[in-house]
Amino acid sequence: MRPFEFIKPDSEASAIELLGKLSPNVRILAGGTDYLVDLKHTADVPKTVMDISRLPELKGIDEVDDGLRIGAGVTHTEIMQNPLIKKYAPAMIHAAHTIGAVQTRNLGTIGGNLVTCVPSMDSGPTLVALDAEVNIVGKDGTRRISLTDLFVGPRKTSLKSNELLTEIIIPKRSLGKPANFYKFGLRKGQALALVNAASSLWIKGGCFKDLRISIGAVAPVVIRCLKAEKYLEGKKIDEKLVKEAGNIAVTEAKPIDDFRASQSYRNDLIAVLVTRTINAAIDLADKD
Amino acid sequence: MDVELIINGEEKTASIPPETTLLKLLREEFYLTGAKTGCDVGDCGACTVLVDGEAVNSCLMLAGQLQGRSVETIEGLANLEDFHPLQKNFEDLGSLQCGFCGPGMILSAKQLLEENPEPTKQEIQDAIAGNLCRCTGYTKIVEAVADAAKEMREEP
Ligand SMILES: Cc1cc2nc3c(=O)[nH]c(=O)nc-3n(C[C@H](O)[C@H](O)[C@H](O)COP(=O)(O)OP(=O)(O)OC[C@H]3O[C@@H](n4cnc5c(N)ncnc54)[C@H](O)[C@@H]3O)c2cc1C
Ligand code: FES
Ligand code: FES
Repeated sequence: MRPFEFIKPDSEASAIELLGKLSPNVRILAGGTDYLVDLKHTADVPKTVMDISRLPELKGIDEVDDGLRIGAGVTHTEIMQNPLIKKYAPAMIHAAHTIGAVQTRNLGTIGGNLVTCVPSMDSGPTLVALDAEVNIVGKDGTRRISLTDLFVGPRKTSLKSNELLTEIIIPKRSLGKPANFYKFGLRKGQALALVNAASSLWIKGGCFKDLRISIGAVAPVVIRCLKAEKYLEGKKIDEKLVKEAGNIAVTEAKPIDDFRASQSYRNDLIAVLVTRTINAAIDLADKD
Repeated sequence: MDVELIINGEEKTASIPPETTLLKLLREEFYLTGAKTGCDVGDCGACTVLVDGEAVNSCLMLAGQLQGRSVETIEGLANLEDFHPLQKNFEDLGSLQCGFCGPGMILSAKQLLEENPEPTKQEIQDAIAGNLCRCTGYTKIVEAVADAAKEMREEP
C-alpha cells in the first residue's frame, strides 16, 4: 500500500469537522472489507484515511419515534444477532447472513455496504423493499433521503466527499412488514449475487397492499420494480398473477452478460427470485 | 505511528507506518508467522486471527485500528503443558495436509465454539466458510471441530 496518514476521531462531531476540513483529500474507513482492498490496488491514495469503525454514535440499533434506527457502523454480524431486527425486519438477518463469510461479516458494516454501492450489494434489496431512509450529516447539517436516492450508479452515491452516512431508518409503517430476501450466487459461501431480490407486502381483504419489489445485481444500482409492483397492487392474491409480476420485473432490469452468467440466464433468475420472494412474503402475512 | 495493543494476553507496542495491515504487523514486527498471507484481499481466510474474540481477516485491518484492542493468534492457543482441544483433534484426525489454512481454520472454529458449544455440522461449515483449504476437502476438518466441541463440553 502507498503511504497515507491515519486518523481516528473519537466522536461523530469531530469526524464531521475533520471531513469538512480535509475533504476532498480524506477518505472514510469503516470495516475496510471493501476499501482496504481498493487501497491495496489503486494509485489514487488519499492524503488521509479516517477510521470511523468504532465511533459510538454510529453503533447501535434502536427503536425511535419514526421507526427503527440502525447505525451506519453496525456490522453484518451485529445485525444477525440483534433482537429488534429479529422482531421487526427478520429478512435483514437472512440478507446479512449471505454476505461473505464470518470474518467479512464481523468487520463489514451496513453503511459501508450501501456506500460502496456495487449493484450486487446484499443489504440493498431488503432495505429498499422496506422503504428505508438514510441520514447523512455534513458540516451544513443533516439531511434525510430515501435509500434509493443514495444510489446513483455502480460505485457512485449521492454522498458528498465531506458527508458521513450516519444511520439507516426503517420507517414505522414497515416494521414487522412481511418480507423476504433471496440471493442467488454460484456458491453459497463467499460468492457475489448473480441476482438478489427482496419483496415486502401486506395483505388486506385478500389483496396485495403496499407491495414492494426490489432487485439487485441486474441494473447499475439496486432498483425497485415499479411496474411489477403496480401490476399486483390491490389485486387478489393469485399464484398466476405473481408469476406474471416476475416476468414484468424482467422488463425493468438490464442485466449484464459476463463470464459468470449470461444475460438470458440472469433474466430467468429475476423472474424466479421475484416470484419466490413474493410468495414467501405472502406465506408470512396475516390473511384477513 | 505508535500502536499499543494486547497480543495473546501480553501488552505490546509498535512503531509502524499507517499503511501497515494487522497481518503485516503480526508477521513482520512480532514474528508471529502463524497467520499466513494468502490472497491479501479477504477471500481465503489464511490470515484469520481473533480481535476481541471475533474472527477477522487480518489482511483487511490497518494496525492503527487495533489501538487498545486484544488480538489472539494461533501462537496463543497452546500452553507449555498442552495443546488446545481443537489443535489436538486436528492432529489426531490428520485434518490438515500442507497446513497453510490451519491457523485460520482453527481460530474461526475457536470463535464458533466459544459462542456455540454444540454446533451442528451445518453451523461448523458456516463458521469456516471463509477459510479456504486447497488440500483436504474439509471432511476431517469439520469432524475435528465437532470432536473438539464434544471434548470441551465434557471437560471444560
Ligand atoms: C471476501 C469478501 C466477500 C464479500 N462478500 C460480499 C457479499 O457476499 N455481499 C456483499 O454485499 N458484499 C460483500 N463484500 C463486500 C463488503 O464486505 C461489504 O460491502 C461491506 O459491508 C463493506 O463495509 P465496510 O464497513 O467494510 O466498508 P469499507 O470498506 O470500510 O468502506 C466502503 C466504502 O464506503 C465508504 N464508507 C463506509 N462507511 C461510510 C459512512 N458511514 N459514511 C460515508 N462513507 C462510508 C468508504 O469510504 C468506502 O468508500 C465482500 C467483501 C469481501 C472482502
Ligand atoms: S490473506 Fe487475508 S483473507 Fe486471504
Ligand atoms: S491443508 Fe493445505 S490448504 Fe488446507
